[in-house]
Amino acid sequence: MSQGPGAGQPGLPALRGDVMRDVLHAEWTKLRTLAGPAWLLAATVALTVAVSAAATAAVRCPSGTACPVDTTKLSLTGIELGQALVAILAVLAISGEYSTGMIRTTLTAMPRRSAVLGAKALILAGLVLAAGAIAVGGSLLAGRVLLPGHGFTAARGFPALSLAHGPTLRAAAGSVLYLALIALLSLGVATAVRDSAAAIGTVLGLLYLFPIIATALARNEHWHRHLEQIGPMTAGLSIQATTGLRGLPISPWAGLGVLAAWAAAALLAGGLLLRLRDA
Amino acid sequence: MEATIEVSGLRKRFGPAVALDGMSFAVAPGQVTGFVGPNGAGKSTTMRVILGLDAPDAGTALVGGQPYQSLRHPLSQVGSLLDAAALQPSRSARNHLLWLAHSQGLGARRVDEVIGQAGLDTAARRKAGGYSLGMRQRLGIAAALLGDPPVLMFDEPFNGMDPEGIVWMRGFLRSLAAQGRAVLVSSHLMSELEDTADHLVVVGRGQVIADTSVRELIAAASGDKVTLRTTARSEAMMVLARAGAIVAATDRDTLIISGLAAEKVVAQLSESAVPFSEVSAHRATLEEAYMELTREAVEFRAAAAEEAAR
Amino acid sequence: MTAGTMTPYRPGQVTGRDGFAQLLRSEWTKFRTVRGWVIGMAVAVLVTLGLGLFAAGATSSSCQHDGGPVRTGSACGGTFAVGPGGEPVDDSFYFVRQPLAGNGSITVRVTSLTGLLPPANGNPPSNPAAPVDTRPGLVPWAKAGVIIKNGTSPGSAYAAMMVTTDHGARMQDNYTGDTAGQPGAVSPASPRWLRLTRSGDTITGYDSADGTHWTQVGAVHLAGLPSTVQAGLFTTSPEYSVISQSFGSTNGSDLPSQATAVFDHVSRSGAWPGGAWAGGYIGAAYAPGIAGYHQAGGRFTVTGSGDIAPVIAGHGNQGDPDATLTDYLVGTFAGLIAIVVIAAMFITAEYRRGLIRTTLTASPRRGRVLAAKAIVIGSVTFVAGLVAAAAAVSFGAQLGRGRGTYVFPASWPTELRVVAGTAALLAVTAVLALALGTLLRRSAAAVTIVIAAIVLPYILAVGSILPVSVTDWLLRVTPAAAFAVQQAAPRYPQVTALYTPGSSYFPLTPWAGLTVLCGYAALALGLALVLLRRRDA
Repeated sequence: MSQGPGAGQPGLPALRGDVMRDVLHAEWTKLRTLAGPAWLLAATVALTVAVSAAATAAVRCPSGTACPVDTTKLSLTGIELGQALVAILAVLAISGEYSTGMIRTTLTAMPRRSAVLGAKALILAGLVLAAGAIAVGGSLLAGRVLLPGHGFTAARGFPALSLAHGPTLRAAAGSVLYLALIALLSLGVATAVRDSAAAIGTVLGLLYLFPIIATALARNEHWHRHLEQIGPMTAGLSIQATTGLRGLPISPWAGLGVLAAWAAAALLAGGLLLRLRDA
Repeated sequence: MEATIEVSGLRKRFGPAVALDGMSFAVAPGQVTGFVGPNGAGKSTTMRVILGLDAPDAGTALVGGQPYQSLRHPLSQVGSLLDAAALQPSRSARNHLLWLAHSQGLGARRVDEVIGQAGLDTAARRKAGGYSLGMRQRLGIAAALLGDPPVLMFDEPFNGMDPEGIVWMRGFLRSLAAQGRAVLVSSHLMSELEDTADHLVVVGRGQVIADTSVRELIAAASGDKVTLRTTARSEAMMVLARAGAIVAATDRDTLIISGLAAEKVVAQLSESAVPFSEVSAHRATLEEAYMELTREAVEFRAAAAEEAAR
Repeated sequence: MTAGTMTPYRPGQVTGRDGFAQLLRSEWTKFRTVRGWVIGMAVAVLVTLGLGLFAAGATSSSCQHDGGPVRTGSACGGTFAVGPGGEPVDDSFYFVRQPLAGNGSITVRVTSLTGLLPPANGNPPSNPAAPVDTRPGLVPWAKAGVIIKNGTSPGSAYAAMMVTTDHGARMQDNYTGDTAGQPGAVSPASPRWLRLTRSGDTITGYDSADGTHWTQVGAVHLAGLPSTVQAGLFTTSPEYSVISQSFGSTNGSDLPSQATAVFDHVSRSGAWPGGAWAGGYIGAAYAPGIAGYHQAGGRFTVTGSGDIAPVIAGHGNQGDPDATLTDYLVGTFAGLIAIVVIAAMFITAEYRRGLIRTTLTASPRRGRVLAAKAIVIGSVTFVAGLVAAAAAVSFGAQLGRGRGTYVFPASWPTELRVVAGTAALLAVTAVLALALGTLLRRSAAAVTIVIAAIVLPYILAVGSILPVSVTDWLLRVTPAAAFAVQQAAPRYPQVTALYTPGSSYFPLTPWAGLTVLCGYAALALGLALVLLRRRDA
């Protein structure tokens, strides 16, 4: 195979944009050529909608009682299970490389380690945003269909769930963002920890332990509030609240911001360790 | 217990792929039996079936007349090395042998004995994750010897050994057989087995192709060929081809002639005044014998290799 | 190595003992020689203990008595009266009494029970001097009747025969005993007759609808009753709580209520020295000045507020926290996560590296291998869990008391059950994780499934999004039911309170909850065994 003169000059470093494009392409190919990620995303959607529908179906508002229920938040309950699947997906995207030894191949082919992590993060975020949108949409649809039959009618102050309603739109969009941020948090933790079991344990610990300890300290207002404000799951899920906003430990967007800070810190720590450690 | 392995009529498929297609052979004590075949011939699968790890779809595999699952102290009957890399990286080699020993009711003393036998004394307390290929092989051999078994099975033990290690391994395997044990060594590199094995089981595509001693196999492959060394290769080729012989060039100055007796070759060349330095009865290498045998059975063949072999 | 050192081979030289014990030893060696796993176990113990201490240290009480300086820590600390059984009790009621020196009986007829409730929104009035109880109504467990009590100090032994708002006539004794009599509310049209008879240490209660046909409700034995006791009429009415049961939350605060009962046909027999009726309030009044009695001829009108019942955990105020031993075991969740990771890795690491083949070659009886692994990881976890739980409970309670928290006392057997039950919970969870790791051969999935199945239902239960019926069902059916084993304070049906998992009240009894988890583990282990045997290594 011969090339004419000037057909490509070996030795010129590729432009930054080109490098990132190739890395993105490679990482996308890695993810789409495995059956696992597709199944995990499908399961995320399915389980989120299923749990949301089940939770909605279980609540009834008998006539004559005042039901202090946030219907939007109720119909988005499934996110609490879906986030676990999203976390697994993100953890396996990097831990799988370490466990098989493929990380060496990856870093030999793409020596710019930050670019590799950044590409993984971008692709994961994109995939989770897409799956999350479907999951959230499905959950809200289930809520819209089921709630009126359980006593939550417009006449009693519970209008049908609709994205035209500002707070509901905020809750929905925020929940999709929430899932993506959980994925990024898990990616960062897994890059730092490397072993898949330990990584998923760490992520689940970060998510689940804050609300549990906050409950144990229910009588100490100061600590209780603080823990709910800084916990990634407790703060992040406040984006789902559409009623009783004044009673929340932290306002919705600020809560999502706390989760974003966690994710950023995890990615930063993971990226630093990735660069400094031997492969 | 007798030191034997008997495999009869094994069949196994993994989905659509047939791994074993009626595999039958026996391994006798007191000699090294080479288990050879191309990649994908079913060697590792056969070994796993013998050890009770994989279940065959049909057929039996017996060690000392009994199926593996029924052995009371398995490691005292059969020692095996399947995958030298099957180690927990954060555990030291000595501790790896230690838990194996404990599973057979043996103690640390036996562990230290086999560490000495395998030549791992200095490295035994280091984490196995830092071992080189060769050291891992030695560790695997130590594990196989833990129960001092009469039957030994090694899957590609020469992998990753440096020349010194290969020589050691060769002598080691032969001495094990000389003690009366049955030793089965699988490999796909003939040069390794040439001086090690006494008996060969050649397999291909899940079946046994040949089950003979090494000497007979080489003799069969050698046939009535003549080796000729000459500087005037092309002239010699012309002369001999005209005389009706089939000539193959293997080297810059070596020819292998078949179809013509050695004396006739000498006569032809002298007639045509073609200089030569050596005429001898050809002794095939094991590699040639093997290539001949398995020509049909090779699954993965590079296109260029055909040309180079001519 | 030189060939010259080889000795001639003689078969059968090296054999060891056979059997399961050797397999156990081998698996134990496998576990203890991986430093990461041993350290992980230690970390599990430390976080369990550490979080418990954090929970103890993070609560503090602050109090201010009668305009004095605000104090914190152990200078405060709620105190409760202590009943004969050692449990903390509320003992406040209005008592119209006379001494009874020896055996005797008292009979009354109750013709009316009415009361006042605080405002429905549960907010205290902005003007502290304004009366709290403003609207007519009764709390479900308002009580009025006759009582025989060992003196007037709060917490002393007693037996009482009473009518209640919603639960008919009842006999209660020593705060925890409760027996039902005739059902039905009291009104002038359908009065209720009550009688208490004392004979030595035994007090028997009777009720009747017409005063002639008496039914014995119960007989209780109050050990060590002195010969002179106080006996007479009483009325009391517990706090009014707005409990929205279906959504598991309490709105508003607990405010006092009051009840008024009208007694007549008061007759006595036996060793009554005689004298005038003395009326007085027993215990600390919730709202001073709303109790009293009025006698007109043979009719007594007695008004009272308070309760004669055990204290339920979780009702402490902001500055006056209380806790049960369970609160100091909050670290169990963290330790559990670490242990699940280690237990799953104990088996999946072998699959990842191909070590499983070595193991199954050394021990071809796969059932035994799985059993040995389960026993080793379960035992190690049990011991670690015992250490962690015992330390968390004892040091946590000490620290909590030092910071002024009232720590509900628990009897020896209860404390032992809590600690050993927690260790068992952790051990069985480890076995469950091991079984799932064997089934799935992938550690991330196994870890996630176990943690989600055990921790997520608890989070949903305390998160008060879902109704109590759903979270109740979750806490019965999922492995999270096992946390019932940590319940340190008993549940009393005769006390209206919010029994939530957050204050360690679970729908199942302790051992039943643990059995649910054991069932899951056994099922997983069985499936794992079948697959382990059937699959190629």
